[in-house]
Amino acid sequence: MKPREQMIRVASTDVHTWIGGQGDPLLVLHGAGGNRGWTRWLQRVAERFTVWAPTHPGFGLSGDADWMNGIDDLARFHLWFIDAAGLGAPHVLGHSIGGWTAAEMATMSPASIGRLILVAPAGLKPEHGEILDIFYYPPSQLLPMTVHDPKSIPEWDALFGAPLTPQPQEIAVRNREMTARLTWKPYMHDPRLDRFLPRVTNTALIVWGRDDRIVPVECGEQYRRLLPDARLVVLERCGHLPPVEQPDVFADLVIGFLEGDGRR
Amino acid sequence: MKLYYFSEMPHHEYPDGEADQYPSLRLEFPNRFFDREKAHANYQRYLTEYEFADRAGYDGLMVNEHHSTPSCVNVGVNMTAAILARTTRRAKILLLGNILPIEENPVRLAEQIAMSDLISGGRVLSGFVRGVGVEQWWSNINPIHNRERFEECHDLILKCWTEPGPFRWEGRHYHFRHVNPWCLPLQKPHPPVWIPGTASPETAIWAGRRGYTFVPFLVPFEIARELFDYYRQGAAEAGRTVTSDNLGFLICAVTAATRAKALEAGRHFVWRMGPTLRGPAEFFSPVGMRSRAGARFALKARPRSLAAMSYEELLNGHFIVAGTPDEVIDRFARVRRELGVGHLLLEAQESRMDHPTTMRSIELMGAKVIPAVASL
Repeated sequence: MKPREQMIRVASTDVHTWIGGQGDPLLVLHGAGGNRGWTRWLQRVAERFTVWAPTHPGFGLSGDADWMNGIDDLARFHLWFIDAAGLGAPHVLGHSIGGWTAAEMATMSPASIGRLILVAPAGLKPEHGEILDIFYYPPSQLLPMTVHDPKSIPEWDALFGAPLTPQPQEIAVRNREMTARLTWKPYMHDPRLDRFLPRVTNTALIVWGRDDRIVPVECGEQYRRLLPDARLVVLERCGHLPPVEQPDVFADLVIGFLEGDGRR
Repeated sequence: MKLYYFSEMPHHEYPDGEADQYPSLRLEFPNRFFDREKAHANYQRYLTEYEFADRAGYDGLMVNEHHSTPSCVNVGVNMTAAILARTTRRAKILLLGNILPIEENPVRLAEQIAMSDLISGGRVLSGFVRGVGVEQWWSNINPIHNRERFEECHDLILKCWTEPGPFRWEGRHYHFRHVNPWCLPLQKPHPPVWIPGTASPETAIWAGRRGYTFVPFLVPFEIARELFDYYRQGAAEAGRTVTSDNLGFLICAVTAATRAKALEAGRHFVWRMGPTLRGPAEFFSPVGMRSRAGARFALKARPRSLAAMSYEELLNGHFIVAGTPDEVIDRFARVRRELGVGHLLLEAQESRMDHPTTMRSIELMGAKVIPAVASL
């Protein structure tokens, strides 16, 4: 089935959104790299769920949001998006800063969300290590650090193989700028998020790559401890991009979790 | 044309081979190579040179500020200005300048600049700069806000100087409920404002609208002329006339009794063109710091980086001037003809240029060059 792209207006901001699939709604929030569209794992998940994958304001083809200052703003915005799109209380899956956003949304309004999937979310300060300063490195140097092994990734060439033509290049710069706007200080975390996570009684799945060099896997443990009903799955030979690095394993995990009957 | 003496107060006091092992002298070169005893002696030396430049006849003394780099260990432009305000008598004190976007308290800044102006008897020229990216990392201020903070910080400082307190300031980046500084500049309405430029058309236009003195740093003549055109565009929008007094230019310069000696001394400036600017683009221009227009102009302004140029090319391009007083006068006259500037800022000491060479250059500039170019 073919997905469609649509602009959904939230207040004065146009939100470029990929929509497709069948079944209960699943809101998918992308990471700092931007909205990669209808990739392999998403196609698999869309066989069982109706996927709504908005591009954050300030990213990709969505409208500007120079007024935003942090991920808490983005979280409130996406709660509004849920209303504007008429999604009821969708399941929410977020990756990296999208995962952080999903966690913030759940702390703000747990009833607005069904089940919660956090994939290598930023948002918590690691107890021992550090979150990599992604702005300190040229994008070309950063990219290989985001994954365990480019050679093992089926979509590597399709997603990252070709040099960027002007429009995607402009979008890449825009994505980086908006990420900086939202996460510069405190860097990639909310010092008070740990105080609010215990409010989130939604059944949650946390997925992490063992070899994540961006957000250390210890943060997965911290999220698991703080969320009342969460399970942590750590994928071996996997870095910061589980949905891209292991698309089939990841899609199975997501479907299994969303179709399961709560805690297993 | 007026001449200004400037030293970056470098700390080139380590084996170069050590520094070469790091991606940049800035941010990454570990400060275990900082030599405290040598720094003590150098600060004394550099201040002595500034004080001699005042006595020798320089029109102004320029001081600047950088952080986390051996290329410039003047870490507090207002500290240096305050010292020179007291120990010099005649020359203007050009702060070029305070790095506004990384400032957390513009009211304190307004007070400190005012205090230097008061101590010096109204000799302060107050430059405001956006800073290089390294200072954003050092301060951890979001570079995406660089221009907004520059403008808001500027607006609040100017308000402190020109409008009676107490008043309230509730901006986007700065918030003060009780502003009433008990320290106002001697110069009325306030010290002249100077703005440097390297690559940003927006900054040139912004400075032109306000009639501030605008100074491109170490760019080719054609780029300086283009920036001055943007400046004039801004001035025209505000109905202002541009004179040579509104325009300045910064180069490196040294003079000596013989051409050979001057060329030997001038070679020290090559260090600041190459090693001190080495490093990832992200260090100097972090994400969001430059607008798209600024980024495009920067590419054009530096078709070749200064680091890629030989000493001879740097001399031919007037990035460095080194010669006998007569040769230097000719070169400065050429800058004046090419650009029509009223202020020439000389980075006149750098790297391992020794104290006697620096002092002799200051002396010759004062005795021969400054009087000769004064009438240009």
